[in-house]
Amino acid sequence: MKFSVGQCANLVGRVFSYRIVFRLAALAAVFFLLQITTPPMAQAQVADGTPSDRQTIELLLQRIDRLEARVAQLESAKQPPPAAAPSQPSAAAAAPETVAQEAAPEHPEGERMDVSKTLMKIRGFGDVTFHGDNRHGDNTSFTLGQLNLFITSDISERFKFLGELVFEADSHNSFGAEFERYLLQYSRNDYFNVSIGRYHSAIGYYNTAYHHSTWLQTATGRPLLFEFEDRGGPLPVHNVGVSVTGLVPSGRLGLHYVAEVGNGRASLSPGSEPVQNVVDENNGKSFNLAFLVKPEAVRGLQAGFSAYHDGLKPAGLANVNETILAAHAVLVRPNFEWLNEALLIRHAVDGSRTFNTPGFYTQVSKRFASYRPYFRYQYINEPDAEPVFPQLGRREGPSVGLRFDPSESVAIKLQYDYTMQRHLPATNGLALQFGFTF
Amino acid sequence: MRRLFSILLFLIIALASAGLSPHAAVSASPPTATGGEQALAIIVNQSNPVENFSIEELRKIFLGERSHWPNGRRITLVMLDETQPERKAVLRDIYSMSEKDFNNHFIQGVFTGAVFVSPKTLATPAEVRKFVFNVPGAIGYVRVSEVDPSVKVLRVDGRLPEDKDYRFRLAGRIGK
Repeated sequence: MKFSVGQCANLVGRVFSYRIVFRLAALAAVFFLLQITTPPMAQAQVADGTPSDRQTIELLLQRIDRLEARVAQLESAKQPPPAAAPSQPSAAAAAPETVAQEAAPEHPEGERMDVSKTLMKIRGFGDVTFHGDNRHGDNTSFTLGQLNLFITSDISERFKFLGELVFEADSHNSFGAEFERYLLQYSRNDYFNVSIGRYHSAIGYYNTAYHHSTWLQTATGRPLLFEFEDRGGPLPVHNVGVSVTGLVPSGRLGLHYVAEVGNGRASLSPGSEPVQNVVDENNGKSFNLAFLVKPEAVRGLQAGFSAYHDGLKPAGLANVNETILAAHAVLVRPNFEWLNEALLIRHAVDGSRTFNTPGFYTQVSKRFASYRPYFRYQYINEPDAEPVFPQLGRREGPSVGLRFDPSESVAIKLQYDYTMQRHLPATNGLALQFGFTF
Repeated sequence: MRRLFSILLFLIIALASAGLSPHAAVSASPPTATGGEQALAIIVNQSNPVENFSIEELRKIFLGERSHWPNGRRITLVMLDETQPERKAVLRDIYSMSEKDFNNHFIQGVFTGAVFVSPKTLATPAEVRKFVFNVPGAIGYVRVSEVDPSVKVLRVDGRLPEDKDYRFRLAGRIGK
């Protein structure tokens, strides 16, 4: 037996008038629609509303109790706090603080995860450069530099995430993205901090003072010694592993240490990705130990040295022991900087010869209002048969430039480079760069 | 190459004609003397065991070179916003930096990982006091007239704000 809606309405109409039936039907329809359109989260809140409400009421009651106690104590004190002797508050005045302090969260940043908000902060860096030189085959070009998204997140009082996501075009004009730094940091105290993930090796000064942003750097780019691996740099600039840093109790000397253990650089074939992000080509690990001082007596002065060691296994060659020794002395103040670094990269092939690549650079700049002229001289001398990194040969020469900051977030740099090379004619290069942060 | 040089020469002339930027002029101006001789109190949470700091230790904390108190708490620096004369006095006497240098210092410090947490900025002294009161590892500064017993005032080089040769004053140092 089937009933149409009309027949049902007639049946019900014997008891209720049509008017009432239509009202009930409308209400039912609205209820049905509400059931459909209410999101599951809201439904869940309704479903477990009772314990939640009870909890809220309890919290509110606790808060009222605390506030009542605070008002009572303030009334009993009835005296304004003594401003003249703030470091010795009276017992009566100090009492309410205890009450209120109990109400205050122990860690406002919170050790518990707050899922209602993101903890992530992002700052961007980028640059566009117009450059040209007289090297055969080079054309003047506008070049999009690295677009760097620097990401940090205060996970808790002691843990922090730090990352650099870099978008960059290659020599074939294709863009790609890579995490240049990817670190979970733990800070126990000033003497012991641990980072795990992908970091910039603490070889010398420049590599950890400047990362993937040209805006922060005085010149248009990094010194050749510290150039990134995929741009022909000779150092293992990036590494994946653990880094421990901290202060060494040393009073006014300001002694710091850095100890790192990582996968080291890839060496199996020249075409392989230089940073071993996921798989290490051997079981040996790279080690780096650095010490540096920041004496109180000379503000902005930093001096230090580092020693890095790794075992490499280039295909078709005997094992290579890589040792990198670096020393630096820099003076960095807001209006003046003088950077000096020297390195020795030593590749000892088992049962064969040793290849030594020395290098240094010096850079000086002084700020005059929004202008900062600078000068850099760099030198690197790589043996012709160097077995591990790309052929750089001997290169040396000065760079002269001017940085102009038209606003707090934009830097315009003009730089001239003169580079002498072994077996090749010297080159003149000119670059105009617009660096920015956002 | 010659064409490139001529284009760049033109751009240099254009840049040079822009002259000094406005923020550079601001940073070069002398410190504001608003507020007369009133001292600035360096304040911490009442639970903080520290009582006294040397100026060098204080500078390291304000620069973010120290990230933890001796009791293990993480240091959270709170600054007043740019419109406040107290901030100008702190930039002058503790940082020896302009506003721009201060911003660059912390951008670079956080970027390198050398600074664990960048400073919080609040609008009024009352907010600073409240923040310091609520956050066990906080450190900030207010005029001495804004101090109340909810926070603890640190001695700097053994001196309190009411001492004659205290270093930090809105109008500049009177003692060294």
